[in-house]
Amino acid sequence: MRQRVCASRRHCALALALCATAANAASFDVREVAPGVFVHEGTTVALDAPGHDDIANIGFVVGERCVAVIDTGGSVRTGRALRDAIAPHTKRPICYVINTHVHVDHVLGNAAFRNAKPKFVGSATLPAAIDGSRRYFVEHYPGDFDGAASADQIIGPDTTVATTRTLDLGGRTLTLRAWPKAHTDSDLSVMVDDASVLWASDLVFVGRVPALDGSAKGWLAAIDELAKTNAKIVVPGHGPVSHDLGAALAPERRYLEVLIDGVRKAIAAGKPIEDATANVGQSEKSQWQLFDTANAHNVSLVYRELEWE
Amino acid sequence: MSRSIRRRVLAALSATLLFGSAFAAEPVPSAGGAWQLLRSHFYGTRDFGEVDEAFMHVEAPGSTPDPAATPVALHFGDAALGKVKQVRLFIDNNPSPVVATLDIGANQPISEIDFRVRVDRATAVRAVAETTDGKLEMRSAWVRAEGGCSAPPAGSGEGKTGDVRFRPTEDGKSLQVSIRHPNYSGFQIDPKTGDPIPPHYVSHVKLTAGGKALVDIESGISISENPTFRIVSDAPIAAPVTLEASDSKDAHFSATWNGAAQRAVAAAGGTH
Repeated sequence: MRQRVCASRRHCALALALCATAANAASFDVREVAPGVFVHEGTTVALDAPGHDDIANIGFVVGERCVAVIDTGGSVRTGRALRDAIAPHTKRPICYVINTHVHVDHVLGNAAFRNAKPKFVGSATLPAAIDGSRRYFVEHYPGDFDGAASADQIIGPDTTVATTRTLDLGGRTLTLRAWPKAHTDSDLSVMVDDASVLWASDLVFVGRVPALDGSAKGWLAAIDELAKTNAKIVVPGHGPVSHDLGAALAPERRYLEVLIDGVRKAIAAGKPIEDATANVGQSEKSQWQLFDTANAHNVSLVYRELEWE
Repeated sequence: MSRSIRRRVLAALSATLLFGSAFAAEPVPSAGGAWQLLRSHFYGTRDFGEVDEAFMHVEAPGSTPDPAATPVALHFGDAALGKVKQVRLFIDNNPSPVVATLDIGANQPISEIDFRVRVDRATAVRAVAETTDGKLEMRSAWVRAEGGCSAPPAGSGEGKTGDVRFRPTEDGKSLQVSIRHPNYSGFQIDPKTGDPIPPHYVSHVKLTAGGKALVDIESGISISENPTFRIVSDAPIAAPVTLEASDSKDAHFSATWNGAAQRAVAAAGGTH
């Protein structure tokens, strides 16, 4: 269940016929949200919609010595579009490609950076997560590879982070932090230390309904920790970049609390999982984009997590 | 079904499934090649009754929100109460299509049995009931899903293998029984090592209520992690409810629900 940003594999399967569209040069823009910190904001479409390979926020950070890319998009095309978007801003080499977690919309563009010979960096749990996803990516996203889909185009990390790690880009540092199971079991956040930019990726969803693929309780705990960073700017995995960390975290925290509370009540009343997936979280429906693509799946996972409390 | 028979059926099916994907994509629940093999294996040339949804029906999501834990409910109408002695659940297009075989205790007025199952791809989910007078009834539902058998274990949370939870509703007519167990399908990858995980599953669950047989379940790898069954009866389920279970590595688990507490956590009598 680790491979999706949004809820269910069924959407991924449906996407096959539609997935020929891609990020193109005309629509691919990057914005400098802090000095030398560039973000491309993904679009808010479902995984069965055209453009599904460009739904995540991805980007890069420029140091005096070299560049770190943070996530590469959901296709080799998107990865190339990001690579091409770096060139107008700097000629410095790409020394790191950081993946914030295993989901396809953040990692499938890695292959576009292979020739730059960067270090590929991820959580210590990411290599196995990638290995467990290769077949799924090949089978379900064949149109998002370079030519014929093949597992060897899916690049996992060669440099991993068990707790925290500092990367030096020359004149500025990135502090990487690996998280216990939260959004997924391979989450990694990036702090651009000098600019107080927290690249939270999918630990933070803004606008788009959060997609749970890890632990709801773990995710809430991570939100509490993220709040303590006091970052001035937060880059979510989906949704607009925010200059108000508390405001960016609040809706996601509320949503997860609604799910946990509703599921606990359903379990205590002896209600089966299908009752919970049909009813829990519905009060949040108007608050989120693409709510119906993920809520039932989220509730199912929360139910399975909480029924052994 | 013994494991040797299961293996033979799987071997026969694997060839069918390899070239069978074209027709498997079409929602024609009774025409699949996998089903024809299963049908002749389990039921020979015996006839099935006319489809009558009031007697029995299968409820499942048309498109599952959670392929690794898809809820499937078998509903039995008034005419079926106490008249079904065995019911077998199949998922045609799963690598192991026989989900479970349930022997229902004599005169138990069971009106609903819920399962949580892995669904690997679009498939018919079907139930075949054998009545006390020896007739066969078959009903099905179509479920779209992807990857339920290979989804990585969730694994999080409290409890240890063999813990049992009983969850009744207030009226006492419904009881959900869950066994903490990875129920590895054999198609999953260990998220820590990247290696395949061998199958390891709850193979037998026996429930009694008030000293009488309630249901006796033979199960396999299509049952989800932490096997969970929910029994709904037309009359309050008599306490005490006892559970005895064993798995494919011959570990044994037991627990008792006395009707008072929401939970009865078992002392795992495991023999690993």
